[in-house]
Amino acid sequence: MPDNDVIAAAKERLEQSGLPSTWLDIPVHWGVKAKEQATPENGGLRFQMLNVDVYGEVPDVWENNTEIPRGAVPDTRTEQMGYSIFNKAEVWSDLCAELYEDAIADRWNSSADIPWDSLEPIGADLERAVCQIATMMSEYGWTKAQTTGRWLQEISYGYIEVKLFLGTVVFDAARLFEVWRKRALANGGGMGRGGRNWKFLPLTQSYTFSEFVVASIMHDSMLLTLLRHGEQLAQTEAERQIYRLCEQDIERHLAYFVDHMRYLMLKEPVRREEIHRYMNKAEWYLAKDGDDTLYSALAVIMGDGREGAEEAMADVAELRREQIETYLGYLRQCHLADREDRLNEELRKWAGMVELEEEEKIPV
Amino acid sequence: MVTADKLDELQMEPEAPELDLSWLNLDTEWGVSAELGRKGLTLQQINKSIYGEIPATSVDSSARPRGAAPPEGATPRMTPWVLGDATETFSDSAALLYDEAVSRQWSSATDIPWDTLDELPEDIERAMVQLCTSLTEVEFIAGDVPGKWLPRIAADHYESGLFLMSQVMDEARHTDVFRKRALANGGGLLLQGGGGGLRQILEAEDFTQMSSMLHILGEGFVQSLFRLGELIAHNEAEKRIFRLAAQDESRHVAYGVTHLKYTLEHEPEKAEEVHWTLDMFEDTLVDPDQANPGLAGALVYLLGDGDVDEGWRLFWHVRRKQVLEYLHRLDVAGLGGRLETGRLHPALAGALDEN
Repeated sequence: MPDNDVIAAAKERLEQSGLPSTWLDIPVHWGVKAKEQATPENGGLRFQMLNVDVYGEVPDVWENNTEIPRGAVPDTRTEQMGYSIFNKAEVWSDLCAELYEDAIADRWNSSADIPWDSLEPIGADLERAVCQIATMMSEYGWTKAQTTGRWLQEISYGYIEVKLFLGTVVFDAARLFEVWRKRALANGGGMGRGGRNWKFLPLTQSYTFSEFVVASIMHDSMLLTLLRHGEQLAQTEAERQIYRLCEQDIERHLAYFVDHMRYLMLKEPVRREEIHRYMNKAEWYLAKDGDDTLYSALAVIMGDGREGAEEAMADVAELRREQIETYLGYLRQCHLADREDRLNEELRKWAGMVELEEEEKIPV
Repeated sequence: MVTADKLDELQMEPEAPELDLSWLNLDTEWGVSAELGRKGLTLQQINKSIYGEIPATSVDSSARPRGAAPPEGATPRMTPWVLGDATETFSDSAALLYDEAVSRQWSSATDIPWDTLDELPEDIERAMVQLCTSLTEVEFIAGDVPGKWLPRIAADHYESGLFLMSQVMDEARHTDVFRKRALANGGGLLLQGGGGGLRQILEAEDFTQMSSMLHILGEGFVQSLFRLGELIAHNEAEKRIFRLAAQDESRHVAYGVTHLKYTLEHEPEKAEEVHWTLDMFEDTLVDPDQANPGLAGALVYLLGDGDVDEGWRLFWHVRRKQVLEYLHRLDVAGLGGRLETGRLHPALAGALDEN
């Protein structure tokens, strides 16, 4: 229990000195102690361990537009800070706090954690192809960091766990950008050709966080499938490690995006059709982007040079089919299994799915 | 209704992309090899040949990495506008600071010796959690700000973009670690801070003005305070928090100073604009009406370990150090003379008086 005499004496000393003491009047939530909980065996003092009492109560609607920490006492003089997201369903996932700590525990360093000394000459075509892939990976990393970062100023402190996690996404995306740039410039190659990148517009243009999330699920699913082929695509141990570490990061991002979308679908099922519209848009831009440079570079690698590229296109097509399946698989986890019936016609062809009969199509 | 099973049955051969090998014959610089250094393969080491040439102006609002060939066909504008002039965002140290940020990441869960948090006297615990309440607030805004600016950084000036991305991560950890400290030892979060200039940093629409407020003055003051964390901390956990956070803040301050230096070297006429911004921000920082009612009291109380007179004495020692270091940073950036010309706010100038 608070010792009132000690606090009263402290107040008196502060007031005699002309200092405000109102902060000593605030009731505190005594009793939460980390010391017993945080051990190296259980991962130290993780955010979730302290999410107790008023501090752990995440409201469905957060009503304060300042930077006030959740659980603190407001100062009504504080200016509004311009946040726009006050609805838990718009951003929430129960996994955020744990994923945030996981991201930090999984941190890696592209300078020191990649065995760059394993790089060796691999032939001009293959080096060109690796550098082309690296260029496009870098572009996505850059876009991902920029588009994720811009949502930070929109999300209020009520959902602090989400913001902490998105901070790690921005940082991971920075690493995605730079580790592939390093690969392009480390082995006698150079940068390749930039992508047309119409497909990224749904990320940059999103008006709502949910729109950004469904576009992210699509692009991250495509990327993750590619990264999972790292063993097949990597020419050296350095690349193998890059594929592996990036895969680990993107899996974490998808865990959040998917769990959040599942939460949204459960809490606000009325938004289902709206979400489908965002998917319509994201898929349309992907289908119409019309830039097959990445897939052609993959064909050169899978075909072990330009001569074998034509034949390798069947394997590339299979990889692209897997990408769409991965995307649909994640949507199933979000309670959006009906997307299979509404997938963009072009993407259906990529996935080798039959064209739906007219009567089976759901109007878009 | 088409079910997944039915689709499996009806599976066809996937359509193959078109093979286009035109990218095998690009006119980009070829034959670049980076050599490993003591710290592995850093950004500095790959910034060679044309890939290391920073364009003074970038008109590219796409995500195309510097040195890559332009794509064939039409491309979209990825962002409404970018800050194309290097003077608006660039720092010669950004790449180095990013590399350092990556190698010095730490975990608030495992790198703080939380088991050293013994029970503190109740008044001291309250003062500490009040300080941490204010700090988690400040760090929260400090993470929002670079996020806001990221879409406006040109890919040609990627070093600054990467640095800001690392800052987003650092600020997330600071928001988190001070929240953890407030909640970890039986206390809790106390009184909100009341703004104290945070809004001005958020609403700035010029990057250099924002950076002068956030990196040089705001984080500079915070860094000076953290470096004196030994005076505030009561256990090894708190000492470690201040030490690690100060290390991060040093990078942020260094970015602000080197960016301003770069800008003023190339656009000396911008000096007055930055002076004006600092006039406004200093005024806010010392305005009693904007002051954080908990922060000053808690800080004085902690510095004196409950002895308010001693706390005041040490508070002025801290403030003096903050102001001296601030002026030194401005000197390094090429914006000296605020004290000599009487431009420094009198309340800050007064802190330099030994008496």
